[in-house]
Amino acid sequence: MPIGNTQPSVRPASAGRAGGAAVTPAAHRSGARPRRSHGGLRAERYAPYILVAPAVLIIVLLRLYPLLLGVNFSFTGDGAQNGEAVGFGNYSELFGDPLFRTALGNVGLLVLLLPVAVAIPGLLATFIYLRVPGHRFYRSVYFFPAVLSPVIVGAIFNLLLAFDGPLNAVLGSVGVGPVDWLGDPDIAMFMVVGVHIWATFGMALVVFLAGFATLDAALLDAARVDGASLRQVVWHVVIPSLARTIQFVFVTTMIGMLTSMFGLLFVMTSGGPEGSTYLPEYYIWIQQGQMNRPALASAASTILFVIMLVVGLMQIKLLERAGKED
Amino acid sequence: MSRIRLGRWLIAVPMALLALATIYPLLFTANVAMKTRRDYILDRFSLTDTLRWENISTAWNSVGMGRYFVNSLFVVTASVFLLLLFGSMAGFALSQLRFRGSSALFLGCLAGLFIPFQVIMVPLARIMADTALIDTYPGLILVYVAQFLPFTVFLMTSYYKGIPPEIVDAARIDGSTVYGVYRRIMLPLGTPALLSVGILNALFCWNDVLMALVMMPSADHRTLMIGVTSLRGQYSDNIPTFASGVLIAAIPVLLVYLFLQRQIADGVAAGSTKG
Repeated sequence: MPIGNTQPSVRPASAGRAGGAAVTPAAHRSGARPRRSHGGLRAERYAPYILVAPAVLIIVLLRLYPLLLGVNFSFTGDGAQNGEAVGFGNYSELFGDPLFRTALGNVGLLVLLLPVAVAIPGLLATFIYLRVPGHRFYRSVYFFPAVLSPVIVGAIFNLLLAFDGPLNAVLGSVGVGPVDWLGDPDIAMFMVVGVHIWATFGMALVVFLAGFATLDAALLDAARVDGASLRQVVWHVVIPSLARTIQFVFVTTMIGMLTSMFGLLFVMTSGGPEGSTYLPEYYIWIQQGQMNRPALASAASTILFVIMLVVGLMQIKLLERAGKED
Repeated sequence: MSRIRLGRWLIAVPMALLALATIYPLLFTANVAMKTRRDYILDRFSLTDTLRWENISTAWNSVGMGRYFVNSLFVVTASVFLLLLFGSMAGFALSQLRFRGSSALFLGCLAGLFIPFQVIMVPLARIMADTALIDTYPGLILVYVAQFLPFTVFLMTSYYKGIPPEIVDAARIDGSTVYGVYRRIMLPLGTPALLSVGILNALFCWNDVLMALVMMPSADHRTLMIGVTSLRGQYSDNIPTFASGVLIAAIPVLLVYLFLQRQIADGVAAGSTKG
């Protein structure tokens, strides 16, 4: 771009708008570093701060500050003791509450089911990457439930899993007695987690496929030429090359299980039967909204945050170790 | 070679069954929404003989899904607009401009990524109540913006990092102000990312239930997803109306998905590979 004739021709749109400011470019080019010389440009120096201000203010005021407020709040009392310091009183009450213990136990169950929730999309992504017939179609179909609200998914499965609903009707026709899918405390949690996995595996699938896109195709070809079986290809080529993606999916799937099952719980079981489908996020909501125990809810929030920090730190540790191996 | 080919076909069978299991619940619901109550009780699986749109209009009018639909549309539109505006402003500054404290501010925004709503629900509800923003549209919009802004800033910053700094330098030498560069260069160049992030944010806000539940207690302020949850109690004995309500809430998402699937997947992929 020739420097000499830029001033009159390049920005016709701005010329009319800011007649006064149009003088400044000429002044710029005469000095080597024109930034500080001109009065109007002092405002320009603050421009970066003005640009980030809305985002930073909102995040600080409505994310970071509430976090501190909540931790602080968890050490105060509810009701008559509102605002008084009660030390770890809320925390000891939490661990004495069978509902909260069930919620933590269910978190343990989620951790146990985590490998399944990661392996399913991982395998499917592998097959899609290897171009099984119809892979484009499968990709579109599998991803769709992931964009549906948990509330919609939950409502649909409420319909399907109802005691007098279609699933039991089908099972009844082949002689299997009706199962109370959402009303049996031993079964309900597995059903909710199962529906959650059904609804979200498409998200992890897309993440895996993005990881596959970075995979060195030559490696796969070499393995195939050497006559490696599918199992060997997965084990010796795909998994080592995708270590980072796999870790990312592990962590995001765990965080998803901890923070985005509320809609399903709310619609499908409301925490029941017999409190068997409580998770920390549901417990927090009940204590804050229904039981009017905000300080107790804050203590549960703090524990949920600690659980998430542990998950996050484990990822960083794993990434560091993977980095050393590279 | 032929063995691999056969293997592929063998794998395709369970994958096709899984695809069926993924689609069937949705088709079932759509079918039920078109039946009469009596038809449903007599036979749950038979295809409906006619499309009974009156179920949909019952759900839309007398159940109030129409009102909730408009509420959701307004809240989502305003939230996404603000998210894209603030996100692109911050992303431009944090990726292209050099200023003191920029990396600290970027980390501060990132920290927000690791704070889910559940963790700050109680204090946030209290802040909203203290500022008289609870149960108002601006309050819910603000909560959505705060929830999804860290992600938006992060993605916009990494997208704008890919734009050569020479473009900004050239425009500055030509006398454009920082704001001019933002408006005339960064916004147009950012269109693909803005589209992807915007669609994702729209889905997140549209699908949310917990934030709307906590922030919008009154019945006439309900969003569409809260409307869906209230269907369960009211229409548990009238399944076709229930299914129609679910369908109303799902159709906009289905349309967005059919036309913009690639952008959604790109957004998810960008969030994962840049992390």
